[in-house]
Amino acid sequence: MLPLLLLKTAQKHPVLVELKNGETYNGHMVQCDSWMNVHLREVICTSQEGDRFWRMAEAYIRGNTIKYVRVPPEVIDKVQEESYRRDEKRPAYTSRGRGRGRGGGMGRNQEGGGGRGRGPPGASRGRGRG
Amino acid sequence: MSRKENALDLAKFVDKGVRVKLAGGREVEGVLKGYDQLLNLVLDQTTEYLRDKDDPSRISNDTRKLGLTVCRGTAVMMVSPTSGTQEISNPFEEHIE
Repeated sequence: MLPLLLLKTAQKHPVLVELKNGETYNGHMVQCDSWMNVHLREVICTSQEGDRFWRMAEAYIRGNTIKYVRVPPEVIDKVQEESYRRDEKRPAYTSRGRGRGRGGGMGRNQEGGGGRGRGPPGASRGRGRG
Repeated sequence: MSRKENALDLAKFVDKGVRVKLAGGREVEGVLKGYDQLLNLVLDQTTEYLRDKDDPSRISNDTRKLGLTVCRGTAVMMVSPTSGTQEISNPFEEHIE
């Protein structure tokens, strides 16, 4: 469940957006984007203390000022449908074969240069036994 | 895919009055003359709505004329059209009781 996918699915639904400063915006989500910028319609704005209210025809809220968004619970069912649909559309993995050459690509030629290999297991690095 | 799309379509507000809330608590109103992808705004006949001295979270009706301004996008929190915006009494009263 991706957060932005849930928000995208919440379009046309009533949502509550609380900003970092504590103001809340109730309205119908018209659109949101990948920065969580949100466009609301028929908005009721509530002040930080919850004692003043404004009605606005619409409001654009910048994503980085959002603290959280409340979405109606039925939206989550719709998300799953959509993500399934996306899976179906996704093309099958076909490009696997091309990746093969890469792992061993640094072949032997380069390794010999330093002369400081790892040595056989159990070989000690120090000089003597002390 | 809609990764790059922008929810902000301010074209319809150009030459109309908009109210802008800025990070830090200032609020201004003006005629939108231009904007860009970063949400930088050009406002004409800008008026700042000053805050209450005792309670900076409260917007008072005192204003200050700023004239032609550029609002930096990173400081913009909220944009809404002036028309259709009004203060109302508590619409959630029944939920609170």
